[in-house]
Amino acid sequence: MDPFLLEAIVNGILLGGVFALPVLGLNLVFGVVDVVWLCYAELVMVGMYCVWFLYTQAGFPLALAFLVCLPVVGLLGLLLHQVVVRPLLNSPPITQVLATGGVIFVLQGSAMLAFGTDFRSLGVEMPPIEVEDIFISGTKLVAFVAALLGAGALWTFLKFTYVGTAIRAIARDREVMPLMGVDPKRIYMVASAIGGGLAGLAACLLVVQLDVHPYIGLSFGPITFMICVMGGLGNMLGGFLAAFLMGVIVSTGGFWWNTEMSYVVAFACFIVVMFARPRGLFAR
Amino acid sequence: MVIHRRSVLAGAAALAATRAHAQGGGAPIRIGLLHDLSGPFAGAGSVPLSVGAEIAIELFNERGGAGGRMIQPVAADSQSRAEVAINEAERLIGQENVDVVMGVYSSAHAVPLAQRMQAAGKILWINSAIATAVLKGKHFTNVFRPTVHSDQYGEGSIAFLAEHCQRTTNIAPNAFKIGIIHEDGPYGVGVATALEENANKIGMPIALKEGYSATAPDLSTLVTKLRRARPDAILQVGYNPDITLFLRQAKAGGLRTRMVIGHGAGYSQIDRLAETFGKDINHFCNVDPAGTQMLDPAKLSSQARELQQILLARYRARTQATDAPTHASMGFNNSWIFLEHVLKPAVLEGGGSIDAIRRAALSVDIPVGGTIQGYGVKFNPPDHELAGQNARSLAVVMQFEDARAKVVWPTAIAGGPPVMPLPADNAFALR
Repeated sequence: MDPFLLEAIVNGILLGGVFALPVLGLNLVFGVVDVVWLCYAELVMVGMYCVWFLYTQAGFPLALAFLVCLPVVGLLGLLLHQVVVRPLLNSPPITQVLATGGVIFVLQGSAMLAFGTDFRSLGVEMPPIEVEDIFISGTKLVAFVAALLGAGALWTFLKFTYVGTAIRAIARDREVMPLMGVDPKRIYMVASAIGGGLAGLAACLLVVQLDVHPYIGLSFGPITFMICVMGGLGNMLGGFLAAFLMGVIVSTGGFWWNTEMSYVVAFACFIVVMFARPRGLFAR
Repeated sequence: MVIHRRSVLAGAAALAATRAHAQGGGAPIRIGLLHDLSGPFAGAGSVPLSVGAEIAIELFNERGGAGGRMIQPVAADSQSRAEVAINEAERLIGQENVDVVMGVYSSAHAVPLAQRMQAAGKILWINSAIATAVLKGKHFTNVFRPTVHSDQYGEGSIAFLAEHCQRTTNIAPNAFKIGIIHEDGPYGVGVATALEENANKIGMPIALKEGYSATAPDLSTLVTKLRRARPDAILQVGYNPDITLFLRQAKAGGLRTRMVIGHGAGYSQIDRLAETFGKDINHFCNVDPAGTQMLDPAKLSSQARELQQILLARYRARTQATDAPTHASMGFNNSWIFLEHVLKPAVLEGGGSIDAIRRAALSVDIPVGGTIQGYGVKFNPPDHELAGQNARSLAVVMQFEDARAKVVWPTAIAGGPPVMPLPADNAFALR
């Protein structure tokens, strides 16, 4: 096999790992609360600024900056739910989408006022891993492993804890579960905080790979939504698998054609999936 | 260096307020300043461009304005989006009643803006957007661009490599392989096309030519393809998020080459690149109009030398920057050309009408060395294929060393020969 093609496939899988975390967070929130957080990529952006500020300005060790970032963005997710989403829970979906879409501008504008328009870099590097003639980015590999661990931790939480079981149950049937004694308001808050926490984890993995600026969400936000829909909105396993599938499509599409065409191919695949399985590739 | 959008807008507002109170010989002249003060382009050079323009207006007013009439800038933020740029231009000419819109960072904005301003019968003075397509074959009468155009980037880059590759790498120009990668807007496509045409003219092989979106979240496949193509030099045309993403992934992906050449925009933000990559970008080259501090003052006219010192002092005072980026020079220089050499005579001799401004622009005749960026000014007439383009604009090749840049081409004005190939201790150098 052409080693360069193999390298492209490996890169695609690693890229899928980067997409997977925000996809999981978005799907968790949508599955439970039934509201799409259009501003999800901007939560990631806030997390990236948080790490950058703590590490480069406040002098925190990087690991500590990461540890602080997770609850900070988790709290932001909770705040988003309480302030923006909760009052609109019974509103038409378009109202909810417009409201969370409006938060995009609030967060972008706030970041611009606080940090300016400059691109901020963490300046952290890891040496690449060279196997035969294939180069694997050390940073990407660590991010990939961390994404898998994060996804595993989420799965364990949802599978083996009472709250996790309640979250899954609410996601299955939002109307019946309150009759069984589950408090949906509390579950919504927990799911929103976890969704925010996953955005924080995604921020930790992205900030070592990308410069942060107020509009960084434009780079990965749209494709994250596309992956969510492709895997089945609200379906966490579907979204997780679709992230890797999309990563490999983008990477190999770029290898065989060109980088611009890779996204054309990815969107074409998305459209075909939507025609064939409108509820998503892995919808039950 | 931190330049906030609000400080830029506040600066422009304060400047405008000051002018409103200025004692002068008539009503102030309102000029629209259209820049990307937010969005990705803001951090890629558009904000320094706007600061340079503001300093030029400030200085022009201090020196009495145009026959006593002060300039009142009306700042607008195009937010790095073409549709916003057009809406803001409409607002400037329709509601703010300006006859001249100046600035414009992105070629993607300049292409539709030029059409719109021409149709509206107003003047568009482009300080930065460099795509040849903005003016080529359009025969605009109301659009002027003092700065270089993308064809010159192609000529400069390839001529530089052709002149130095044999001596420094022992590879003849017709065997020296280049890889061209570019963002896929008018700027990237324009420069990449010029690079390809100039390489083809001298038989320089192109190992890979590929476009990408400036907001792409991943360019690692492009790195893989470049590794497979093994170009002797990589020529990139990009803004800033994409440049830093590419270089970071190129380093992690083991991409090695003999030379990396950028073409303005993101590569002109030397302080930003140095902050991110440190010594890794040492000996990279960049093609652009020269930042004024890179030029030998002895080769400039006495007026240009004086303006050079004023710009550098005021820019540092305003931004606390250690070094003024090239876009600051572009913003100041091209605005000053308009104010001093076009608007002033148009007001004094023709009452400041649009016709008078157009005539004054076509009459400008500044020799080489007469501006702070070294080039002269003579605009092509409307029947020229590149009507409104400054025929005396000049792109140079500069080379980075420890966050500073020095001119290495054209040889006649170079501060010394280039370091080529990249030294062995460079992270991107061939091992």
